[in-house]
Amino acid sequence: MIRFDHVHLAFDGRKIFNDLSLEVQRGEKVVVLAKSGTGKSSLFSLVLGFLEPDEGQVSFDGQPVDEKSAWEIRQKIAYIDQDVSLGDGKIIDLFDFVLKLKANIHLGGSRERMQELLQYFEFDQEILTKDIENLSGGERQRLAIIIAVLLQRDVFLLDEVTSALDKQLKKKVADFFIARQDWTCLVISHDPVWLENPEIKIFDLEEGGWKP
Amino acid sequence: METVDLSLVSLVLTFLLLVLPVVLSLKFGFALIKPLFYAVGRMTVQLILIGIFLKYLFLWNNTWINFLWLIIMITVAVFSAVRSSAIKISKVFIPGFLSFSIATFVVIFYLNMVVIPLDNVFDARYLIVLGGMLLGNSLRGNIVGISTFYENIRKDAKKYLYVLSLGASHYEALLPYFRESVQLALKPTLAAMATMGIVALPGMMTGVILGGASPEVAIKYQIMIMIAIVVSTITSVVLTILMTLRVCFNRYGVLRRNVFVDVNGRIP
Repeated sequence: MIRFDHVHLAFDGRKIFNDLSLEVQRGEKVVVLAKSGTGKSSLFSLVLGFLEPDEGQVSFDGQPVDEKSAWEIRQKIAYIDQDVSLGDGKIIDLFDFVLKLKANIHLGGSRERMQELLQYFEFDQEILTKDIENLSGGERQRLAIIIAVLLQRDVFLLDEVTSALDKQLKKKVADFFIARQDWTCLVISHDPVWLENPEIKIFDLEEGGWKP
Repeated sequence: METVDLSLVSLVLTFLLLVLPVVLSLKFGFALIKPLFYAVGRMTVQLILIGIFLKYLFLWNNTWINFLWLIIMITVAVFSAVRSSAIKISKVFIPGFLSFSIATFVVIFYLNMVVIPLDNVFDARYLIVLGGMLLGNSLRGNIVGISTFYENIRKDAKKYLYVLSLGASHYEALLPYFRESVQLALKPTLAAMATMGIVALPGMMTGVILGGASPEVAIKYQIMIMIAIVVSTITSVVLTILMTLRVCFNRYGVLRRNVFVDVNGRIP
């Protein structure tokens, strides 16, 4: 599904990946482990075409990520950044903007599903009329998760999505993703809620291999 | 009615007015004397030179020389616009030059051929003077437009990339920044238009009246030039941004870091 083949990446004279090979199969939930500040978020940037490897190849669903395919791949993946930047304005307008993008308009933007998810991730209904600027870090993360789920994609790139949540919510979010057999998740996190779950495979980026 | 010429003595008497800002600066300690004399000096030398140059330009009134002079004016305008933004001149000079040229020539030819209309559309008195007014004004708009557009995307890199990751096309991801920068670029021109005649008598109108024409003629020219300025400003800002996209973004839709003067390297 997602494959890194002998990938080398460096910038500003700093090596980020040195001959990285990793394959994530459909339906797998993989947590990538690395020290902070080692550039592990670049892993997702490579899949989304925001960065190009210096050597090696990144592919998605058998298709190499290139100038053309990157645009299609982005329509098949839901990505949530560590400190997701959702801009400003009302939350309802953000949902509106995302669901009215040409790539997403066919989804119809089911109001019911939105309400369901808001409830599941413990938001009040009034949240929709609130300003994005007034949200806490945890609320932002949950909101980005809701958006990702509304996009009805089945591959998720999750970059520290539970870092600002309390214990109970962390578990709720992790369980939510892990429970879906058909979803493929590549996760960057140090959180035990992911690491201690038996369904999770752990890839150690520094050692370049799977953890037993 | 002929304009009363200013003799050399009259001009010296004008400089005498500067005694007032000098006295005020000395009294209150404004750090203005040096910059004031520097600015006045530069202005005087530049205007004397351009005065001599324009005298011959008008005298010869040669189509090719006029055309060439307008091209030089456009080149300087593009340099100034890009240099005042954070973008490297080598990256965007050609698209900038093309968009300034299209916006200026289309509007000037429309004025000279259709609105006024002139027998010789390359007449120095109109081509050079109108060109200068249009370029001077659209220059300010372009500085605001280009800077706002690229700086905001750079500042907002995370959000911009997030929008791309949501499946947005390049156009969809850029549209909010494009709208904001064009609106901002037009703001000063629109504000100046809205207060024109009440707050200030515009330069062109003053010039035409001093040149001996009636206020009615002056007003008509002023209306014409203001509309021309708005049109050339919006056209050049829109074209400059659109034409620089190919150079400033890679094919993945990511803003190239090396287009900025102060940053080398790649998007993290």
